[in-house]
Parts: sequence; structure tokens; C-alpha cells
Amino acid sequence: MSAAVVEAREVSRVFPMRAGPVTALDGVSLRIDAGEYLGIVGPSGCGKSTLLHVLGCVDVPTRGTLRFQDRDVAGLPDGERSRLRLREIGFVFQRFFLLPMLTAWENVELPQAEAGASRAARRQRTAELLDYVGLAHRATHRPAELSGGEMQRVAIARALANQPRLLLADEPTGELDQATGDQIATLLDRLHADGTAVVVVTHDAAIAARAARLLRMRDGRIVEDSGR
Amino acid sequence: MRAFRLAWISVVRQPARSGLGILGVAAVGALLFDMLLLSHGLVLSFRDLLNEGGFDARVLATDMVPFDGPRLAHASRLAAQIAALPEVAAVQQVRVVDAELAGASDPSGHEGLTHTAGMSGRDGATHDDRVQFVGNDMRVRPLWTVVEGRDVESAAAEPTVVVNRRLARALGASPGSRVALRGRCGDAADALPPVTFVVSGIADFPFDAATDNSAGGTIESAARLCGGEDVDRADMLLVRSRDEAGPGAAVAAIRRLRPDLHVVTNEQMVAQFSRVEFSYFREISSVLATVTLFFGFLLIAVLLTVSVNQHLGEIATLRAVGLSRGRVVSGILWESVLLVGTGGILAVPVGLVLSVWLDRILRGMPGIPSGLHFFVFEPRALGLYAVLLAVASIGAAAYPMRIVAALPIAGTLRREVVS
Repeated sequence: MSAAVVEAREVSRVFPMRAGPVTALDGVSLRIDAGEYLGIVGPSGCGKSTLLHVLGCVDVPTRGTLRFQDRDVAGLPDGERSRLRLREIGFVFQRFFLLPMLTAWENVELPQAEAGASRAARRQRTAELLDYVGLAHRATHRPAELSGGEMQRVAIARALANQPRLLLADEPTGELDQATGDQIATLLDRLHADGTAVVVVTHDAAIAARAARLLRMRDGRIVEDSGR
Repeated sequence: MRAFRLAWISVVRQPARSGLGILGVAAVGALLFDMLLLSHGLVLSFRDLLNEGGFDARVLATDMVPFDGPRLAHASRLAAQIAALPEVAAVQQVRVVDAELAGASDPSGHEGLTHTAGMSGRDGATHDDRVQFVGNDMRVRPLWTVVEGRDVESAAAEPTVVVNRRLARALGASPGSRVALRGRCGDAADALPPVTFVVSGIADFPFDAATDNSAGGTIESAARLCGGEDVDRADMLLVRSRDEAGPGAAVAAIRRLRPDLHVVTNEQMVAQFSRVEFSYFREISSVLATVTLFFGFLLIAVLLTVSVNQHLGEIATLRAVGLSRGRVVSGILWESVLLVGTGGILAVPVGLVLSVWLDRILRGMPGIPSGLHFFVFEPRALGLYAVLLAVASIGAAAYPMRIVAALPIAGTLRREVVS
């Protein structure tokens, strides 16, 4: 049995709202092992993104425990959680969220600089990553000068900058056309093949079908886990 | 990538936004800088003006403003007594007499004295006919500086005067010309006979206003202008202390000698003017400095807050990819420092140019000595300006920094996607 990258036990996330509390996650238990490829599907508002945020340590569960590489995340101070995200987790978002004033190269270099990588190491890794996503020729372009697919590929390169164990992608093809979405899906396949654990939240059945394990969610609960 | 570099890139690569911010800060910074120069400039300039003649204390009959109070009696004897004090190096008697022009001639004297009442074209004494006659003891360094010709001679056969450039220009006078003045002393002003002087030179008078006609001569000439009345009286004695004693010791010695007189050092006089006469400018400049600083603060606070609110998704992403809260917050602070710093540096030369222009306008007011400046550069003002701008930049960044520090990562990402 391979080691768990992240493990959630009976995790709930309740958002206090003026009209009353909203339960986005309700007692979710989940284990993701190294190198897994997991797809999460379900109707809008079923808690997919919230689960992704909790697994990625950008949100904390209201109840339950979350262990990342056997460390209890809930007890970590904000700075420690930032370091964990920086070194172990990569995020890809539907809307890319690249820094508009930075070039593709600088967007990819940023997390490495934050992690303390030397200039030479950063240069080598950034060049490798842009080459990996097929954008070496776009290194000096700023996001406004890139297409949607290119921006998403830069976002993936940024997510991989510090060689994370876990890549979390929230609707990574949601703003892309079919052909470009296929390119991104192929890129995620390659990442998985190279040994990174990949979790993809998607509405796209074709993307979900590429995952080795599929979770189906409804009303904040996992109603089906093909891996069980 | 350090927070500073990220802020630098943000400033450089958003030139329209940064340019607007920097220009705004430069404009309010220039005004702030000028207000700081004004708040202390008049005092500094007044001190320089008082010290210009090399005298560091003043003796007056009362504590009234010089030339507004009664004159000192037996001025020459008093001056001699004070000069004999071991703490005192020199004493100068000063008597200022209001006079009017009664006539003038060219250096050849061929045409004799012509009546000049009406240099402005009207009959009777006009503003341009009025002359301020400064009499002093020519054995001591006079209050004026000769720029053409020779200084006043006490032993000359005819009384001599120096005139300021404005009067010389108005009369077409040069060394050798003659000028007749009639003193306007007390009730007998109209009955006083004019006194004719030979112009020995042209001089600058430090307390001249831009519209003043001034003449300088001996203290005896000043008395003569008043028809021989009030002989041996002076408005003021100027005292130069010995270096080893200093003005404080000289003033103390004079007070022991003549406790009935009002004796002050230049510094005491500056302090008195600063407290009373100049307080108006200080208060005005304080209010305007506060207002301009507040505008600068608001400008940058709004600029950064809008910028932060426009990029909440990117900021949440930075946090999501692992940048610490401190790093993201310090980026905002650096951005504020860069905008305010650049604008603040640009503001200094702009403020200096503006201060020269404003100074010229203010010095054009009637009665302001041309040697007096309202805006005076001093390192202290620059230091205070830098401190105030630093406080403004930190203060302006405080609210957007708070937004960033308290930003919920997951909630923001969710909202940004939904929006």
C-alpha cells in the first residue's frame, strides 16, 4: 500500500450565513495516495471546490481532521500552512489567476523564489517547465498577450514550480474550448504519468473519464467513490 | 522574488496607474514641502537679516517694536558708555527719519535743483516722493552696503548721502548729484526747510522694501532734517558683542548699566517675532501642510485600495500557491513606499521652484524688506518632509494591507470564480 499524501476524516465545512449556516461538506472521508489521479464530479454547489480547498489547505474544516503527509493540518499556524502549500501542493484554477504584470516566466519563477531556490536553479526549472507545457517561446509574454489555453498552461507550470506531491485543479478546462481543454487534459495525464498525484474537479465527463478514480458528490457528501 | 521586486514590477508595468499616483503625490508633496519651508522660513530669514550687519543685540527705550516707540535720549553718550563695556566690541546709533523729496540735480549741477514733488506727476508728496532717511554713526560700520561711488563722509564740507538703487533710478542720480530732502518730523513737518545733500554713492539697504526710497547719512544729518530738534537722539543702538563674551553677556552688562532700557539679543527678538508677529504664517502653513498631507494620504490609500480590490483573485492565488501573508502584505507596503517615495522626490524640485515663485509674490507686498524671504530651504524641513511622507505612505497602505492580511483565500477564490 502506497503512502497517503492527504487524508480527510469525517471532514465538514459549514459556512455561517445571514440566512442560516450552509453545510458545504458533511462528514467527508477521503484518502489520496501518492501518484493517484482522482476526478471529482457532481452538480454545482455540491461541495467539490470546497473539498478541493480543504485538501489544498487554503480552507480549514469546521469539523473532522485533515492530515497532510501525516501532519495534522488543522493545528498548523498560517505560516506553516503557507509553507506546506508552497512546497507540497500545486493549484490550478478555472480562471488561471496569473499575475497580470508578470511575464509567463516570472509567474512560474515566483513560487520558486518564495521557496528560496537559487537564481540558477530557478532559471533551469522555469525553462524546463515552460518547455514542458510547450510555452518556451512565450516566456516573455504577459498574460494579456496569451490565449486562454496558454494562460492555463502557464498556470500549470506555476503549480508545478516547486515539484509538489499533489496537484489540485478546479475546473481547469472550464473557460476553454473543447480542443484547448483536451490539450490541458493531456498535460494533466502527463503529470500523473510522471508521478504527481492529481485531483481534478470538473463538470466535463471526458476529463473525468481520464481519472483512474472518480468521486461523485452530492449535498456535501461523497455518494460514490470508484476507488473503494 | 522579493516583495520589493514584486512591488517594483507592479509600479513599473502599470505606468498609467503609477504615473497618476506619482504625479498626484508630487503635486501635494510640493505643496507640503512649501508649507514646511514657510512654517520656519520667515523666522530663519528674519534672523539672517538681523545678523547681516554683524550686530547681535539691540538697545531700545521701551519694549515696543523698533521705530514705533520713543527715542533714546543722549544717544551718543549712551553709545560711548555701552561701547566702554568689556563685553561690547562696537555700538552703532540708528535714527530713521521720514522725509520727502524737495529737489534734485544731475552731477554737473548746471541746472540747479529742480522741484521733484511730482515724480509721479502730481502735486504734493506722493508715495514716490517719500524717502526713508537712515542716519547712523559713520565711525562704526554703517547699515548699508555701497555698490557704486563712495560712502558717506562725516567731515565733508557739504552733507553727503547714499541713496538706494530705486531712488537713484527715479532721480537719474549718480555720485555727485545733489538731492534735497525735507524731513517730516512731528507737527512742524510742513515748516521744515529742505536740506541739500551730495550723493556720494549708491547703496543697498537690507531692510528696504521693493517700493522704498531710501537714503543713508550721518546721525547728525538725520537730526538736521528734523530742523535741529531732538538732537542726539536715536531710535535704537545696535551692539556688537565681543566674541569671547557673546551677546548674552553683553546684554546682561548693558542691563546692569541701564536697567531702564529694553535690551535684547537678536535671538530674543527673533523669538519674540516668531511668537507674535510671525505666528500667523506658522499657523497657516501648519493647517495647509496638514490638509495637503491628508490629500496625499487619501490619494495613495484610494489608489492602493482600488488596485487591491481589482486583484483580489490574484492575491488569493498568491496566498494559495504558498506566499506567506507577510510577504503579500509587505508587497502592498512597498508599493505604497515606491509611489509616495518617487512622487515625494519629484516634489522637492517642483516645490523649490514653486517656493521661489510664491516668495516673489509675497515679497511684493508693501513694506516687506526685500532681504526678507518667506520660503527658506533648510535641511530640517527636508527631514521633516521625508518623515511626514513616510508616515503618509505607511498610513495609506494600512487599509489595503489590512484587506490583504484578512483575505480569506478559499472564499475569495470562490467569489472570483462565481463573479
